Amino acid sequence: MRRYGPAVLLALVGAAILRVSLFSDLYLRYVQVGLRPYLVVSGVVLVLLAVVVAVLVRTAGEQEDPEVLEDPENPDSHPGHTHGPAGPRVAWFLTLPALALLLFPPPALGSYSADREADRRAARGVGTFPALPAGNPLDLTLGDFGSRAVYDTGRSLKGRTVRLTGFVTRDAGGTWYITRLLVSCCAADATTAKAEVRGAGAPPVDTWVTVTGTWHPEGEPGSDAAWPPVLDATSVRRVPQPDNPYEKR
Amino acid sequence: MENQRTVADGIRLGLRALVYAVLGGAALLAIGTVVSVLGPMLALDLYTPPVAAWWTVFTAITVQGVPFLLLGTVVSAAIGAFVPERVFQRLLPRRTALAVPVAGAAGVVLPGCECASVPVAGSLMRRGVAPAAALAFLLSAPAINPVVLVATSVAFPGQPEMVLGRLVASLATAVAMGWLWARFGREEWLRPPKRPTAHEPGGGPRAFVSGLQHDFLHAGGFLVVGAAAAATFDIVVPTSLLEVFTGSAWLSVLLLAVLAVVLCVCSEADAFVAASLSGFSPTARLAFMVVGPMVDLKLIALQTGTFGRAFALRFSSVTWLVAVASSVLVGWWLL
Repeated sequence: MRRYGPAVLLALVGAAILRVSLFSDLYLRYVQVGLRPYLVVSGVVLVLLAVVVAVLVRTAGEQEDPEVLEDPENPDSHPGHTHGPAGPRVAWFLTLPALALLLFPPPALGSYSADREADRRAARGVGTFPALPAGNPLDLTLGDFGSRAVYDTGRSLKGRTVRLTGFVTRDAGGTWYITRLLVSCCAADATTAKAEVRGAGAPPVDTWVTVTGTWHPEGEPGSDAAWPPVLDATSVRRVPQPDNPYEKR
Repeated sequence: MENQRTVADGIRLGLRALVYAVLGGAALLAIGTVVSVLGPMLALDLYTPPVAAWWTVFTAITVQGVPFLLLGTVVSAAIGAFVPERVFQRLLPRRTALAVPVAGAAGVVLPGCECASVPVAGSLMRRGVAPAAALAFLLSAPAINPVVLVATSVAFPGQPEMVLGRLVASLATAVAMGWLWARFGREEWLRPPKRPTAHEPGGGPRAFVSGLQHDFLHAGGFLVVGAAAAATFDIVVPTSLLEVFTGSAWLSVLLLAVLAVVLCVCSEADAFVAASLSGFSPTARLAFMVVGPMVDLKLIALQTGTFGRAFALRFSSVTWLVAVASSVLVGWWLL
């Protein structure tokens, strides 16, 4: 039975990848939209490979040659590379993320990660931005709202009613923010975009909300006073967590 | 007689399958029950925000790495099974001193991040490519391929010198490391990657499958170890620590070079992270992008698995020094 170890591992990893990419949108908690096709292909390839390996082991077993898929070298000659009939031993670490994805998919990052992230803003010079599309209220990403609010000398946000979606964070002073994490590749590179909300009571931390309101200009564009941007809220509505909890950076 | 034997065999096989199914099913049921009862209870106590964030970052790095690792192991298994040694002997110059820059520049063709390059470099060595040349390829491939360069130009709009600086500094580091290895490297540090040889030397589809499953599982295990280390640093090291060092130009270069090692950001994404590190000098950010694809915790784990610990530690520490030196020089020249 142990000879089927590699096949089982491959099938497990393939199934875990397919479960989060093909059969649900859970992959969006970990990586970007663009990776989905590659994940699906990888999952399928891994499952097929598992089948082929299992068949090879089986035919090898019928030839009564149990060593056929094993390392005939002395295993001690290669530290960190010990082989039993079950294949490389370190490979069993793969069960950890695979079972986590299959049984308890870890949640999307939230206020804990946003709070840890120092208030950094992407370096860029001030300048003018392309005109905003029509729409009242206008749906904007927090990243776009933030950069226009802080860096736009043309003040394209002025007088516009905008609608932002994110989760709630608070600071020690009791100010609350609508916050979203920005991801460019995977959740490990998440950075924070946020806007201070004024004129409405704070929902509990980590609640997902859609806030409608108008931009409240503060300070000169590009100055420290302009950060973080402020939104005068007219309505705060609780919403379920969106399929993609992150914004593309 | 024959018939009786087949019938007896059939019955025995059926019985064995039944026993396996019952035992396996019972075990699965038991595990399922325990997990579904204990899981939520444990979750309440242990699933604090930092632990949950650790799991998310850990699985994210692993999930992100799997397609690239698979690509790398497919390429490496294909090289091992289908490409004869003499092809590389013809493609690469005979003299190692010349083969190193050629192999370094050839890194342009592997459109993946660093997880893909380790198994490919391993199989190049098995195919008789000089280790110095294979190592130059290992270092340059994740840093200078078109996908990464385009990502860099998107992250630094209007700053083509950043893309050029990255290309020049990464290639210089890779070639310098290849030459250093050719001059000072010792064979005994490098445990040439071995794998099941039962189907070789014939090569062909069987060797491809057994090479692929072995390489993927082996490198995958080390990817998980590296992801766990990176997730731990991500949760333990406070990011506010960074802001302390932005004052001094020298310290900031060293700090970002260390940060690149512990953060393990994929080489296709590190330009965006570098762009967001706004308090730092351009040279420091260049160092972050040059070091990251060549030395990080995940890569050290993968190299340990493929080439042995004695190699991984020596090679990574020297690469780090060379990469920092080359980014400082290129930064001083270009940025």
